Amino acid sequence: MNEVIEEKISTEYKYGFVTDIDADNAPKGLNEDIIRFISAKKNEPKWMLVYRLEAFRHWLTMDEPDWAHVSYQKPDFQDIIYYSAPKPKKVLKSLDEVDPELLKTFQKLGISILEQERLSGVESRVAMDVIVDSVSVKTTFKETLAEKGIIFCSFGEAIQEHPELVKKYMSSVVPYTDNFYAALNSAVFTDGSFCYIPKGVRCPMELSTYFRIEAAGTGQFERTLIIADEDSYVSYLEGCTAPMRDENQLHAAVVELVAHKNAQIKYSTVQNWYPGDKEGKGGIFNFVTKRGICIEENSKISWTQVETGSAITWKYPSVILKGDNSIGEFYSVAITNNYQQADTGTKMIHIGKNTKSTIISKGISAGFSNNSYRGLVRIAKGAENARNFSQCDSLLMGDKCGAHTFPYIEIKNNTAVVEHEATTSKIGEDQLFYCKQRGIDNEKAIGLIVNGYCKDVLSQLPMEFAVEAQKLLEVSLEGSVG
Amino acid sequence: METVIKTSTIKDKLIFEFETSKLFLFGNTQLRDQAMESFYKQGIPTRKHEAYKYIRVDLMLKGEFDFSTNKNCSDAQIEPLKFLKDAYVVVIENGIFVEGLSNLQNLPEGLTICSLVDAEKSNSPVFEKHYAQYADVKTDPFIALNTAMTKDGVFIHIAKNAIIEKPIHIIHISTAFKNTIIHPRNLIVIDENAQAKIIESFETMDSTAKIFSNALTEIVVDKHAIVDHYKIQDEKELGYLVNTTQVIQQKQSVFSTHTFTLSGSLVRNNLTVVLDDEHIESHLNGLYLTAKNQVVDNHTVVDHRKPNCNSNELYKGIIDGKSIATFNGKIFVREDAQKTNAFQSNKNILLSEAGTINTKPQLEIYADDVKCSHGSTTGKLDEAKIFYLRARGIGIINAKKLLMHAFASEVVNTIKIEALREYVEEKISKTFE
Repeated sequence: MNEVIEEKISTEYKYGFVTDIDADNAPKGLNEDIIRFISAKKNEPKWMLVYRLEAFRHWLTMDEPDWAHVSYQKPDFQDIIYYSAPKPKKVLKSLDEVDPELLKTFQKLGISILEQERLSGVESRVAMDVIVDSVSVKTTFKETLAEKGIIFCSFGEAIQEHPELVKKYMSSVVPYTDNFYAALNSAVFTDGSFCYIPKGVRCPMELSTYFRIEAAGTGQFERTLIIADEDSYVSYLEGCTAPMRDENQLHAAVVELVAHKNAQIKYSTVQNWYPGDKEGKGGIFNFVTKRGICIEENSKISWTQVETGSAITWKYPSVILKGDNSIGEFYSVAITNNYQQADTGTKMIHIGKNTKSTIISKGISAGFSNNSYRGLVRIAKGAENARNFSQCDSLLMGDKCGAHTFPYIEIKNNTAVVEHEATTSKIGEDQLFYCKQRGIDNEKAIGLIVNGYCKDVLSQLPMEFAVEAQKLLEVSLEGSVG
Repeated sequence: METVIKTSTIKDKLIFEFETSKLFLFGNTQLRDQAMESFYKQGIPTRKHEAYKYIRVDLMLKGEFDFSTNKNCSDAQIEPLKFLKDAYVVVIENGIFVEGLSNLQNLPEGLTICSLVDAEKSNSPVFEKHYAQYADVKTDPFIALNTAMTKDGVFIHIAKNAIIEKPIHIIHISTAFKNTIIHPRNLIVIDENAQAKIIESFETMDSTAKIFSNALTEIVVDKHAIVDHYKIQDEKELGYLVNTTQVIQQKQSVFSTHTFTLSGSLVRNNLTVVLDDEHIESHLNGLYLTAKNQVVDNHTVVDHRKPNCNSNELYKGIIDGKSIATFNGKIFVREDAQKTNAFQSNKNILLSEAGTINTKPQLEIYADDVKCSHGSTTGKLDEAKIFYLRARGIGIINAKKLLMHAFASEVVNTIKIEALREYVEEKISKTFE
């Protein structure tokens, strides 16, 4: 076995690669040596390197997809730094030891770690696995979680400490052969979050990760893996912000969720990366593969997302409903302004009997943006009594933007009941008039109406996010109507 | 790998046939060459072509095919297909206009019906203005193929202010004894203020050979014109049909089209309606009843280009056996097209365990002051309704039939010609037997 691994690693080693191991950044570009460098940097076991290399070799055979309703300058994959780490100073024991510069940035983003820790006495609190520049710097509340047997750590740590779980579940939902960006991510991912909820445990707090893209020219490739064992429950929050950048940055993450018997996973995202300036210059490319599997009966996976940022969004959180009686949900608000482009939606694959799925998608486009819903509902032959309800509404603001709906519905079982409806309209003049008449100015009125329009989705968000998200909607649409 | 070789074979054969028969084809050689070039680039669509994802035309086109267009049909054979007693009948056999079988006596003033070849020969200015102007060869390989290789079809012109009371019935009949590919093409021009009812029916004679018909109809609806268009597709087991209908509407015109797919091994409808001016009304209705191993794929595009137009689309299907039905409807609202109202609805009943339904209702909208919606539902026959009927002494078979009739009637009732409605109802009843 070892020989095989040895051979895998040593083949195609074309370039003599001499690296100063203390270097923080990998050189620009992507080849097998870079992957070896990342793997070595992270002190990974050999099986991980083999996996990365296999993914990379597969990636080389793939073409970049172009079916999405977006247009952009394709990223040059050789012009990206695939690894950059902040210099490890020492092991941090408390928040006081965190780089003050870092804390300042967080304060700017409105998330205070200090506050988080002060709140740690309170029952409902948020644990954060802070990711800055691809490496987990500080994981809070870990001990509290550990008492319950919950594993919540960075992906790198999970590879070191829980290799059996990582080996078992990684790539089981999103194999590296899945798509172009999933393959790229599998080859070069630097870090991410790992979460395991043991049997019968209800996670006592919302787990949260804040992603942030820091160093210029660094692509971020995180990987998240959440496993909810039998009868467990977890709610996971993911929020993203990024500072102004005048250069396209690629973000290709992979998120995998596995829900066992009677388990429930709730995954909420607020995404507010730099969307580019008013002329559509710059901004983040957000090409994400998110998928969950309800692998055993009575499990449930629920995706909630509020997408306001990124120049290009290309994201389809999906659920494979394999276990009988399992439930999949997708609630989404996507806002595009200026020259943003979003092509987002979901896939609900019904395999088990009596499976149910609900899709609520609200798209809002303003300025010169394009906003598409693209979704698939597939009822497989054996999915007796499957049920789906989809609703996709689009709101248009201004006459230069576009709103599109591309649902795919494939049904192979006659006991299935599938409903889909979509509407496109603009903000009602009468609604605006009503608000204005009562002394609410135009911008506020629009905020009010949009929030009402998105209420179905926003109400799905955990408390911590709901308020933030409402503000975000208003900020995103600022100046779009006039 | 094998399939690739085989599909390229049919493509090569088509190109070879085109090169050898080019001199005998009517009309503009430059246009044909361009179309062929475009077909060469696009090729026969496979599963990888998004628009043909659910229908394997490439698999169907394996094997030997002939391109000849013989005439085998007799008066006695065609007579039962003329189901409308009071109509102007045009017979197109294997893609060729056959005057002898048609009933075109006493055409009223303002109505011109002739073969496409004759229209071209007579240098008709209407023909020259409109022929091959709307169906874009770059958008679809079958449009390209038809434009390059068509041999004939019918040209219908309804002059300004003419109101044609009797329906015009175009019978497409395939009678080949060898596996054959044909490319019938029609051009229908309805001038300002004119009105007409046009029925296209697709039939096959009993034979043992596969017939692949790549039919294309262009319809020009000028200002204030009112046009009713019907398609009855009943090609039985050996019929394979790709039917493109390209419609262009001008100011304040009203166009209604109704597609009934009753049989045929493979039916692909590409229906595009372009609303090119203001205050236009368009209605697109469809009903597909599929069974056995049938594959039916309806692709519709409603292209709103100008403000203040209305479109309404209703497609319904009942799927039985191992059949696969697809509905792919797109509503396209361009930047200029403010105050557009566009509605689309697709409803399906899946009767059997082995049937498949794929639906893809799409909205692509670039204007803000619009009202657009689409809805799609799929389910089985309502158990509660069946129970209601059975509780009142109606057997389960009859109860199901009754419900299917009720389901289909929403589309059938949009037929405005009574004789045609009766004919379709009868056909539907037979299908439900």
